[in-house]
This record gives sequence, structure tokens and C-alpha cells, in this order.
Amino acid sequence: MEHRELLLEIGCEEMPASWIPGIEAQLAERLAARLDEVRIERRTPVRTFAAPRRLVATVAELADRQSDLEETVTGPPVRAAFDANGEPTRAALGFARKQAVDVAELARVQTPKGEYLACHRRQAGDDTRSVLGGLLAATLRDLAFPKAMRWDATLDDGRGEFLFGRPVRWLVFLYASRVVPFEIGRTPGAESGGVAPVRAGSVTYGHRFFGNGGTPGAPIEVTSFADYRDRLADACVLIDREDRRERVTRELEAGAAAVGGRLATLDQQSALHAEVPDLVEHPAVVRGTFPSEFLALPDEVLSTTMVHHQHYFPVVDEQGRLSAHFLAVTNTPGDDSARNERIARNSERVLVARLRDARFFWDADRTQRLDDRLDRLDTLLFHKRLGSYRDKSKRVEELAKGIADGVLGQSVEVARAARRAAELSKADLATDMVGEFPELQGAMGGVYAREQDEPEAVWKAIYHHYLPIGVGADDPPSHDALGAAAVTWAAVALADKVDTVVGLFGAGERPTGSRDPLGIRRQAQGMLRILVDLPELTGLDARVSVGEILGPARERHTNDDWSKVYWALDQDSERRDFRSIGGISEETGLDRGRVERLVEEHSSELRKAAATERRLYTLRLKPVSFLRERLRYLLEERGFDRRNVRAVTHQPLEDIRPLDARRKLEVLPEFTETSDFQTLATLFKRVKNIARELGDGSSSEDPFRPLTEPAERALLDELQARRAVIDAAVDTGAGFREAFAEAARIGPAVDRFFNEVFVMAEDPTLREARLRLMQRVEQVILQLADVSEIVPEM
Amino acid sequence: MTFQELILTLSRFWSERGCLLQQPLDVEVGAGTMHPETFLRVIGPRHWNVAYVQPSRRPADGRFGENPNRLFKHHQFQVILKPSPDAAQRLYLDSLEACGIDPTRHDVRFEEDNWESPTLGAWGIGWQVLLDGLEITQFTYFQQAGGMDLAPISVELTYGLERIAMHLQGVDDVYDLAWAPGVSYRKVRHREEVEQSKYAFGKVDDFPAAEFGGTHRDLFDRYYALGERLLASGLVLPALDHCLKCSHTFNLLDASGSIGVTERAAYILRVRKLAVAIAEAHAAWERSQLSDGGTGVEVAGGDNADDDAAAGHPPVEQVGEA
Repeated sequence: MEHRELLLEIGCEEMPASWIPGIEAQLAERLAARLDEVRIERRTPVRTFAAPRRLVATVAELADRQSDLEETVTGPPVRAAFDANGEPTRAALGFARKQAVDVAELARVQTPKGEYLACHRRQAGDDTRSVLGGLLAATLRDLAFPKAMRWDATLDDGRGEFLFGRPVRWLVFLYASRVVPFEIGRTPGAESGGVAPVRAGSVTYGHRFFGNGGTPGAPIEVTSFADYRDRLADACVLIDREDRRERVTRELEAGAAAVGGRLATLDQQSALHAEVPDLVEHPAVVRGTFPSEFLALPDEVLSTTMVHHQHYFPVVDEQGRLSAHFLAVTNTPGDDSARNERIARNSERVLVARLRDARFFWDADRTQRLDDRLDRLDTLLFHKRLGSYRDKSKRVEELAKGIADGVLGQSVEVARAARRAAELSKADLATDMVGEFPELQGAMGGVYAREQDEPEAVWKAIYHHYLPIGVGADDPPSHDALGAAAVTWAAVALADKVDTVVGLFGAGERPTGSRDPLGIRRQAQGMLRILVDLPELTGLDARVSVGEILGPARERHTNDDWSKVYWALDQDSERRDFRSIGGISEETGLDRGRVERLVEEHSSELRKAAATERRLYTLRLKPVSFLRERLRYLLEERGFDRRNVRAVTHQPLEDIRPLDARRKLEVLPEFTETSDFQTLATLFKRVKNIARELGDGSSSEDPFRPLTEPAERALLDELQARRAVIDAAVDTGAGFREAFAEAARIGPAVDRFFNEVFVMAEDPTLREARLRLMQRVEQVILQLADVSEIVPEM
Repeated sequence: MTFQELILTLSRFWSERGCLLQQPLDVEVGAGTMHPETFLRVIGPRHWNVAYVQPSRRPADGRFGENPNRLFKHHQFQVILKPSPDAAQRLYLDSLEACGIDPTRHDVRFEEDNWESPTLGAWGIGWQVLLDGLEITQFTYFQQAGGMDLAPISVELTYGLERIAMHLQGVDDVYDLAWAPGVSYRKVRHREEVEQSKYAFGKVDDFPAAEFGGTHRDLFDRYYALGERLLASGLVLPALDHCLKCSHTFNLLDASGSIGVTERAAYILRVRKLAVAIAEAHAAWERSQLSDGGTGVEVAGGDNADDDAAAGHPPVEQVGEA
């Protein structure tokens, strides 16, 4: 068997830049899987490359034959295969026919279920070349595009029409430097002189306009990957994204330096930096300048116009201020200074036209105060069941004020500022600038608030209130950026997000699988992240529980009977598994008949069976379980161990203090590997199970008096000695390290207890005392973490 | 190259490549896509190659003749090639060269920009074509129209004529364009922009906003009812005219701030409903034509291409990749 080179190039029209990295990875993965499937051995890995007009894969050493296949197909059991006379039954005959052999040729195999008929087959591997066509068809079908298109193409694989990301215009498909026959057919309806099948060949095409010895677009004959790569480089195509990325970075830095500045570090710019290498086949940077009068526009407007709309990179000066220079990445060789000049001048004209528009909006918007725009918000719908943006901002006003003074304990002034910021927070939706640049919502409102002399605590709160978006500890906003608005910002951002999450859930909108068109997940994560990072973001060491934020929002959205019932159903599913009609009636103050009718009306939202049993299972994926999942996701994204995360988020959601959860997680890894802690973790599940045996009922004055065994007295002493530190940590949110250390020290005493004491004693008094001891252990530990989640994985 | 020379050049270019030269639709529309030569011709199996200019009215873009880049009415040069030839991009780039744009002297790019028209139930996959950062053309492979999957696939090229002319003439203000030698765009169109913008934004003397809105709602309803009746008697093209009048009237209501958000969505839905019904009626008509013995592969313009086609300009079907 020999090993030869495979080269595949799918030449297509320009793919969207954002798809290219994903499609390249898919091609590598799918081609390898398909090669494995047809048993063609690779001595070297599949390498892939991608550029806007081509997807490339190569294997340097690919076996020239499939491996032989040996398999045993099992048929019917022997006892069912022959009748009393020893004649083969229909089952045996059928199996033999299917395998295309005589019954006599069938073998017998022993299996755990008995003796079975079997057919041993040995199939010699085929020539690789003969299976590559089918393999390519399968691989092409495998590639999943975010949006595939129809282009009158078919594949001869029995599956008919062939959709792809963009039309395929040529194929290079070589094995051992020889073309492997393959064809993408065209549908009969498209047959015409201008529409032809795409046949695999050994011809590629370079850059649309440049390279190739002055004859761009001419066919290039290739024989091997090395040859292919070199010839394309000559034809002004860099097939390796890394090469393009490096070139972009190098030229951008040089370009910025050439005008005495450096690249601005904007968030949107880093996204652009990631995307640009896949917009071009050969990047080259040109430098442009716009009239400095436009620097009077807010930075936000300048950078969004450059970055978002034109894909240009702004340049900042020594002090980090935007300069009148920008850099544009072109799809050219970059070696012709006259052309570079021409492109730069034209780009300037496009940019200036846009900036002129922006300046028009900037001037026009500032003739009206944000307050005077609030009426317009009445006509902007937030959600059909939740009213207009005016309605939303009114709710957010109340919530933000409540969070500022009630939850965060701030002064009247701060609460007032939060309320003011909330009032104006959506007003920019009615400005021309946000109409034109929707991505500037929030930031523009902040800028206009600043322009109308709102204090920093107000304007910066508006500016940043859509943040945070990322869940990382360093994702914006920073405390520095928030400045004097840190606390008002937290109040407004929390209020806005909780109103959206609770409101939309109540309106029946909930994310399912990958579908989250309203971005509810991001809102929920933003809200939780503010609580997780409150000290770093605001300087306030407040350990706010989820319930403190969630409760008031629920009240605002509970304005009809169904929502009351809905929210009553949304009790914590991990504690109370279902609610009765009677319980809901009691909680909502609605009579039973009304509750029943409402439940009936909304039965599709509830589990039908549960409703007819007059017991209602809690709705799955309602805010409570949804928010818990989001909190766990956020903490796991921070790199905390999954089991530890579960352990510190076990409480009823409303009681969870996300900041405490984070602080526990920061120290927990110091203990999880110690033997004391592992002892405790391993035994804790048993403790919880046993504690569950204890019925309700009052305890006597000293429930532990009957305990006399040394092991149980020792455990009790240990608990009494350790709990002060644990209780203190839980009360204050500080000293979790000491608390976990103390908890771990209880482990050996629990171990000894289980070894020496039989809990379920016959004497009921003694039994109850022991159960109470278990319950006490459970209570002391559980307020810290459900350590049974941390049992080492086997 | 003057504005009218640009139109002549593109017309000649596409006519030489087998396109039928049509004329603009004589109804107010927002884009060349709404012309039955696009919206209806892309439906069904029959091949069709056509080009035309379409003056396109966008009431919300009216700027009273004061903005150098934005117009109440701009001009699109629209090309439909059905089926889309393999060399569609090459042909398009050749058309730019015919206009004097040499791609090797610039940065010409095809950047993802899918097109969708909710009111027409139509969408396609494609790009905006950028010339040194300036969007000059929308290039779309139609996938659906009137909510129906299309086969074969048509390609639609929509050239922004003012933008291309501004680039060619090196002017920064659309009104400074030379429409014809010695005649500026301002002279031809400025008054129209001023007056149409005033109308679009409801700045009409002694015509209070409520009344302005009421009149146009009424017009919308009447056009709509008429469109439905026309469609009911199988008059597909007159029904489309009235559907498009509804669409334009809606745009006027929208631009003048006469409708709220919820109402807005309801209007869009109504137009879409009528447009989809029209498209379906047209599809049924197409099927009836085929069952009457049509081949489904006749090519518009194929026989009409002028003599230059024989003199070295191959028609669409004969141009290969690269």
C-alpha cells in the first residue's frame, strides 16, 4: 500500500467572512470522519485552509487503498433457525438470502444470549481513487452553513438538489497529482448556455483582479499542494488565514505609526480585526484622513461610523484620543502607491459623506431635550403584552429607585439620580441618531444627557445601562468607566434587565435551545453578573440576593389574574415539586374556581396531566430554573469547577447571593482535594438522606441529651466548636476560607459516627436524637454549600 | 461620463448580452424589485433576461433637496438574469469596466448582504458590491418571492446610478452631477426633491397631520380593496399596480409619522398578504401557460439582441467563468 497526496479546493463565490473559520473547521472534521468511515488510512492529518473564494483541504499521505473490511453479521438464534426436522426456517432462509449465501455456508456464534447464525464476510478494500467521488459528495453535503442557498445544483448521490453557502464555480480534486472525476450537476430547469456542471479538475483561479503575471483570473494548472500554495501566492491569494491575519496586524500597526498614532482599542474594533482577514484574499492597508472639524462629533459616533459601517480602523493619538486618521484594509496587493492613494481618497469621500449625515443628526437631535422625547416613546412598542418603551421606562424608574435605596441602601439623592437615569434611559430610541445607528442606543442617550447637563451619576448610568454583555470579570463596564455613576448605573441596569427577563417570561417568551431571538439569556446573565461583581463594579460590598431583585419586578408584572397564578406556580422547583390549586388560591387570594378556569385556559402552557390531577407541576424553564442555569453558566465560564458551582448554588434561587457564591468558589478549590473534606463530601449525601427521615415536630429543650456514645458526643462537640466560624461567614459574607476549613474538620467526626453508631436505634427517643444530630450537621454545612455535589468523580 | 451616458452604457452593455430592455414601471415604487419584470418574472420555470431603469421613491429618505447623498427619489438600474449564469459576477464586473471603472485601479469587493422584502415575501442571498468602500450595487440570488421557493434561481443586479455617477464624475454632492452635458442633476431634479419631501413629511399648508394621515389611510384602504377585487377576477397585473400603490401609501404614512408601531406591523402584513396572493395567482398563470405547450426555456431578449451580439459580444449564455 502506498500513501499519496490528496488535494481538494472548492472554489466558490465570496463566502461571508463570519462563516469562514467555522466552515474551515467543519471541512477538516467532516473530511477526516468520512475518510475514516470508508477506511482510508491517513498517515498525516487533514489540513484545511479557507479564504473568501475557496475552501481547501489536503492530506499529504493518504493510503491508495481502503483497508480490508472483516465483519460478522449476526442472524436469527439457532433455535429459531431450524425446525423439528432440522430444516431451515423462514428466518434462516431469509437471513441467508439477505447475505447472498446458502444456509449451509452460515456459521454459528456464541453470544451471551445463546447461539446464533452468523455470516462472516471479508471484503477487500477498493482502490482509493474509486471511492473518493462518493466521499466528496458526502463531505459537501455534511458542511452546514448558517444559511444555505439554492443555486440550481444537484449531486448524483440520490439526494437530488444540492444547497451550499455560495455557488461553487470550480473544483480542484487531485489524488496522487491526478484528477479524481467528480461533478456537481445542474437542475434541468436551469439548463442553458450559461449554466454548466462543475467538473473537478486541476485548475484553480487566483485573485479576481491581481497577480498571476499580469493576467488575473486566468486558469492556473496545479499538480500538488505545495505547487498550489505557491502558485496562488503568486496570484495574490494567501490561503492561510494566519498569514492574512499577521499581514493585517503588521500593516495596521505600521499604518498607525506612520501617522504618529496607534490603533484604538475599541471592543468593536477587535471584532473587526478578527473578521477582516476573512473579507479579503490578500490584505493591504491604506491610510485616510477626514477633516478635523468632524472630531467635534462624539467618539461613539465617529467610531461606529468608521468601524461598524465602513470597516475602517480608527487611529488614536498619544493621549488615546481619536485622531482624524483611519486605516482601511483592502483586497489588493498594496504594491501600487497610486492605487493606494486613489482608494484612500475615495474611502475618505465615503466616510465624510457618512460623517456629514451623522453631524446633521447630532445637530438636529440636540435641539430637543430628552425629556421632550418621552411622549414619542409611547408609540414605540417594547412588546405587545408589555406595552411601549414609555411603559417600560416607567417600570424601570420604580424598580431602579427601589434597588438604589431599598436594596443597596443608598441616600435619597442617589435613589433620585437612579430614577432620573431610568426615566431618560430609553429616550434616545426617539432620536434620529439612534434611528440611523441603532447600535448606539444607550451610549447616545448618555451623550445627549451629558449635553443637556445631567450630572455624571445620571448620564453615565444611561450610557452604560445596556451593559454588561460579557460574563467575564474583565468585560465592560469597568468601575473607572462608570465613575460617579457606578451605583446609579447598577440600579438602572439591574432594573432594566430584571424587568425584561421577568416581563418577557410572563409574556410567554422564553429561550428554547439555541433560539433566543429577544436575547433574554444575555439580559439574565447581565443582571446576575452585576450581582456577582458588585464590589468590583461599584465599590459597594453588598451581598444582594437574587430574590431582592426578582421580587419587586414580579410584583410589577403581576397585574392580571393569570400572571398572579403564573408566578405563584413559579415557586422553587427544587424544594416544592408541585403546587395544588388550593395552595395557589391561598397564595393569590383568587377563589378556586377562578384559578381552575385560568389553569384550564392556559393548559397548553401547563402539563395537562398535572392539571387534571389538580396538582400543578411547576413550569419548566421559568425564570427560577432559568436564572439558576444562567448563574451556573456564568460561574462555570469563569473557570470554576462545575461540581463546586453546583454545590454553592443549591439554595432556593431567591436566597442565593451571587457574590457569596463567587467568594465561596474562590476558596473552595483549596479544600476539595484534602482528605478531611473528601470524607465530609462523601458522607454528606448519607447525612442528608438520614436527616430526611426525621418527621416534623417540636424538639425538646435539649434534643441531644440522649446522646451518650463517645462518637456521637464527639461529633456534637465538633459541631458546636466549628459552627461559630461557619455561621459568622454565612452571616457576613467574609471568611469563607476559615469556614470551609472548619467544615472540613467535621469530616472525620462524621466518619467516626457512622462507623460506631447505628442511627436507627430501637429506642425512639435515642433514634430521634441521632436524627436530629444528622439534621444539625446538614444545617451547619448546607448553609455553606451542598458538599455532596463535590464527591470526587470516579 | 454623464448620468444619461451611464444609463445608455449599461443599457447597451446588457442589451448586447441578450437582455430585453424594459421601461420603468409607471407606478410609484421603492425599488426595481417591485416591477413585475422582476417580482413576477422570477417566479416559474421560464427563462428571462431583462434590464431597465427604475426611479425609486423612498419617502423617509427625502431631505428637501438639502442633503448631498440622500434623495426622496433615486434611480436604480435593474438587471434580472434567469437562470443566473455561472459567470454572473464576471459579467457584472465587465459592466463596470464598460462604465469606465477598472477594478484593478480600485478595491472592488463583494461583501455579504442578504436582501429581504417582508412586504413582498421575498428574499435572496448575496452581497453589496463595494467600490473603495462605496456601496454601488446590490447583487442578489433570489431564493423566494411571494413566499414561494424559486426554480430556477434568478440573479438580480441593482446598480445605484447616482452613486456610480458621483464616483465617475468625482463629485461629492448629488446635485452637482452632470445629467447631460451642461445640465446638472440639480437643474433636472432639485425642485422635485423639495416638493416631494414636503409632501412625504406631511408639510402641506392647511392640511393638518390628522387629516393628512386620514386621507392616506383612506387611500390605502381603497387601493387595497380595489387590488383585491382585481385579483379576484384574475387581473394579476392591475392588482399588482394597486398593491404597489398600497406599499407606497404606507411608506408615506410611515415617513409622515402618521402610524404607530403596532399599526405599522399590521400594515406591512396586509401588503404582504396581497403581494403573496398576487404572486400565487401569477404562478398559477405560469403553470397554465406551460400546460398550453410552452417549453419553459424560451429566452427573452435572445432573439432581440442587436447586431453587436454577433460582432463579438457574446450573449449571456456563452460567457464562461474567467
